Amino acid sequence: MIATVRLADGSVAFPCAAGDNLLHAGLRAGIGLPYECSVGSCGTCKYELLDGRVETLWAEAPGLGERDRRKGRRLACQSRPLTDCTINLRPGAAYVLPVPAARQRVAFLASEPVTHDMREFRFRAAAPARFVPGQYALLELPGVGARRAYSMCNLANAEGDWHFHIRAVPGGRASRILFGPLDERTEVVLDGPFGLAYLREGPRDIVCVAGGSGLSPMVAIARGFAAGKGHPARRLHFFFGGRTPADICGESLLAVLPGYGERLTYHAAVSDPEAARAAGWPGPTGFVHTLVEAALAPNLARFEFYFAGPPPMAEAMQRMLVANSVPSAQVHFDRFF
Amino acid sequence: MDGVIKIEVPGRPPLAAFNLDGTFYVTDDTCTHGEASLSEGVIEDGLIECPFHQGCFEIATGRPAAAPCTVPIRAYRPVIERDLLHIEDDGA
Repeated sequence: MIATVRLADGSVAFPCAAGDNLLHAGLRAGIGLPYECSVGSCGTCKYELLDGRVETLWAEAPGLGERDRRKGRRLACQSRPLTDCTINLRPGAAYVLPVPAARQRVAFLASEPVTHDMREFRFRAAAPARFVPGQYALLELPGVGARRAYSMCNLANAEGDWHFHIRAVPGGRASRILFGPLDERTEVVLDGPFGLAYLREGPRDIVCVAGGSGLSPMVAIARGFAAGKGHPARRLHFFFGGRTPADICGESLLAVLPGYGERLTYHAAVSDPEAARAAGWPGPTGFVHTLVEAALAPNLARFEFYFAGPPPMAEAMQRMLVANSVPSAQVHFDRFF
Repeated sequence: MDGVIKIEVPGRPPLAAFNLDGTFYVTDDTCTHGEASLSEGVIEDGLIECPFHQGCFEIATGRPAAAPCTVPIRAYRPVIERDLLHIEDDGA
């Protein structure tokens, strides 16, 4: 069944194919429905259902609070139409997909270690891989109920290759399959690309800040920057934060890029001073946002910021950038919890 | 009766001045999640709800109170003198 979804203001209607959710159907139709995470956690795709019926995929999704539920709000990413629907939400041009998103079967090619708990996974689709550096895709793995969002670390390519740095989550259902190790015959479906924290052309120098598997989209942005035809004087400052020296990674991936050491630089910080001492870590200790602030002070508003990492890091980065009066139009990240 | 107005001050980001049943509060007007103006939002139970994505902040403290907002807005302590609303801004 294809349901027709109408916006309450009458501005637009779009089709939603069987099995698709409101958010992604709208995005596929070229409509800028607001979102960030696609997986129920950020709360940006809230809407009100005025007419019709939907199935809720994840009733307890943290993106909705008590107050939202009381007011009958729902998450577009967690709603599958059962009939034609009329919904109330406000689209924005900033959310329109930069390239089309599609759901397709992918084959697992290989994986290799990045750190003690992170691996790079490589998948191949039949169609060329089209995405912008910094975006993510949703992977459907057998036996894992909800889809998982992973950011690509490679660049768009004609071969159909999608590469991801993924961190093993102890006890995680997706991790059990991916790090099982992943069997080549495992059926994997990829939907994407999605996400707003993608590389924009512009005059400002770039700052990338990564922690954990946030490495993946930040490496993609650095690769996109190095491969791009941007202004030759434009620079990129790459920061990585880890708890222990064993978590620090990414430098070897950047060191092979043109301009490394000149217009592209790498800095890392270890947050656990005990672990730093024990391993003889020669670099700075402390949280990565404080390293960023110290290294770039005083005028942080002259940069374009991209970041990805664990929620406490992302939150600390946001607070630091707000405190330094960096306009939010220069801050790019997708909120996952 | 609750109400809010936007106050433009040259040289700094706009402010939102609230009257919650006779008590005045002042916060930054720009949502920390997007570029929305909070004074165009809805006041309810001491919260201001952003008109863009229905995130909320506590008016008295600036604390984020509903997703997708996670970073506080600045809340100022207003003083009323001779019918004028004053706030102290340390410029930070």
